[in-house]
Amino acid sequence: MHLLPLTALLPITAGALAPALFYRRPDACWWWALAAMLANLIAVSILWFELHTGTTIRYPLGGWPAPYGIELVFDGVAALMLVLAALSVAIMIASRRYINATIPKGRRSLAYALVLINLGGMNGFVAAADLFNLFVFMEIFSITAYALVALARGPVAALAALKYLLVGAVSSLLVLLAVALLYAQTGSLNMADIAARLAAADAPGASALALGCLVVGFLVKAAIFPLHFWLPDAHASAPSPVSALLSGLVVKMGVVGLVRTRILFVEADVVPVVLLDQLLVWLGAIAVLAGAVLALVQRELKLMLAYSTVANMGYIAVGLGLATSAAVGGALAHTVYHAVIKTGLFLTAGSILLCTGLSRVDDLRGLGQRMPLTCGALVLGLLAATGIPTTAGFVGKWQIAVGALEAGQPWVVGVILAGSLLTLSWAIRVINSLFFRPPARARVIIADEAPASLLIPSVVLALLAIAGGLGGAVLLELVEPLTTRIVGQPS
Amino acid sequence: MVILFAVGLYIVLTKQNLLKKIIGLNIMETAVFGLIVTSGMVTGGSPPLLGQGLEPPYASPIAHALVLTGIVVALSVTALALVLILRVQSECGSIELDDLLEREE
Repeated sequence: MHLLPLTALLPITAGALAPALFYRRPDACWWWALAAMLANLIAVSILWFELHTGTTIRYPLGGWPAPYGIELVFDGVAALMLVLAALSVAIMIASRRYINATIPKGRRSLAYALVLINLGGMNGFVAAADLFNLFVFMEIFSITAYALVALARGPVAALAALKYLLVGAVSSLLVLLAVALLYAQTGSLNMADIAARLAAADAPGASALALGCLVVGFLVKAAIFPLHFWLPDAHASAPSPVSALLSGLVVKMGVVGLVRTRILFVEADVVPVVLLDQLLVWLGAIAVLAGAVLALVQRELKLMLAYSTVANMGYIAVGLGLATSAAVGGALAHTVYHAVIKTGLFLTAGSILLCTGLSRVDDLRGLGQRMPLTCGALVLGLLAATGIPTTAGFVGKWQIAVGALEAGQPWVVGVILAGSLLTLSWAIRVINSLFFRPPARARVIIADEAPASLLIPSVVLALLAIAGGLGGAVLLELVEPLTTRIVGQPS
Repeated sequence: MVILFAVGLYIVLTKQNLLKKIIGLNIMETAVFGLIVTSGMVTGGSPPLLGQGLEPPYASPIAHALVLTGIVVALSVTALALVLILRVQSECGSIELDDLLEREE
């Protein structure tokens, strides 16, 4: 079956053709994009069922076997593709109205094209089995992400996109440098092959440098504190569906990169990864607190959500760094659930922004009476982000806390609790302002409930976010084989 | 290569002019490409082509393919960066980071 390369090729080809095909009728482009995304979802679902009936799917491109040829794998990491595909369909449904309202007609097909190419790049990234393809696909989704941020009008967006580009380009270069170092030592680009040959190369210094470059590069992509500074402006000033795409999905690629790096170096066993783990735990813990505090002092809803992403990436980093099976499982579960929660939150915030034109929390007072369903979805999403039991946010945080106790680092539990309480405090501020204050702005009083195309994705994602905790055991079981690969054999 | 990389990184981090930052980025990229090309070198190796007088050992051709791809990527990043700088210039009226930050306050 050729489904695996199709997941990367189909969206990229569809995206590349879109501006040419829909030059005269940019509005019809939405159907094209949606069709491509649905086809991608079907292909990924079939792959996913094959993964769960049989073993890992490997696809040598052009029939050249690994380690000489380029190989794509659909393993536990690549199963994240299902989340990407499903959420991108939701984003695409919601983005139609938003893009029609904010982007001039001639540039709409370009916007859809960028979203499609971005999705294809991410699909390729999670499935790449060799380092150089990892780099190329990373550049594909990064460059489209910079361009997507720049789609928004206004000086803030342009500067944010440029800042994002500069930081992103330096981090990509570090990854490329690491690829060069590993290639020079082993003469191979396939990750499994490098892992097998790295010990024979007997150059721990260069290996450690490569590890450092990879880690720093992916830490930037994952926006882990203190390398998060590009994120809030870029995510908050982008058009809302793009914010959902970036904050829900694109930052998760940094986590995927870290996971791949860790698997490679655990298998190679030349450089101890303990230092990396310690670094992740400390940076993650600081990120949890700093992200939550910074979210607390923001006034704009989308900036709050962007800083909350920083905090949540911190949780994931802590979970990966603790390196016990419970904590890593929790981090992976949180990666999936945070994607769902944050996509839903940004889509909801986007529809509020579109219907009222207001973005400050104080201006949105009393909106709960005018847009009960949208505001209700926002509240459900916020509660899930806080991590109240039975919501989706709870599973990951609980597992990470359990893992922290197993690893003998009980202070991490305190950090997790403090982060949740801080999140709760700004969530309550938003909820209070939406439902329990009299309206302060005329636009709130005349606002109407959001149209169905915006409402349905927000509500569905919010319900998923609130009920997700109930399916936590299933999800943890699904990520289990991957967890053991990341943790490695206890030595 | 290390010196070139360090020079590029220094420019990206310290220069306040956005255009100079992009130039620094390109210098860093050149350094990494140089490193990749030299890693493919084989002492006494011939070009990896079939023909008269060309015998094994061959130099590794993969490194060149990698660098070509890398150059394409670098080109597109630079192009996008230049367009964005134009937009910043037309919307904010300056490409000096100091000026831009002052105006925000």
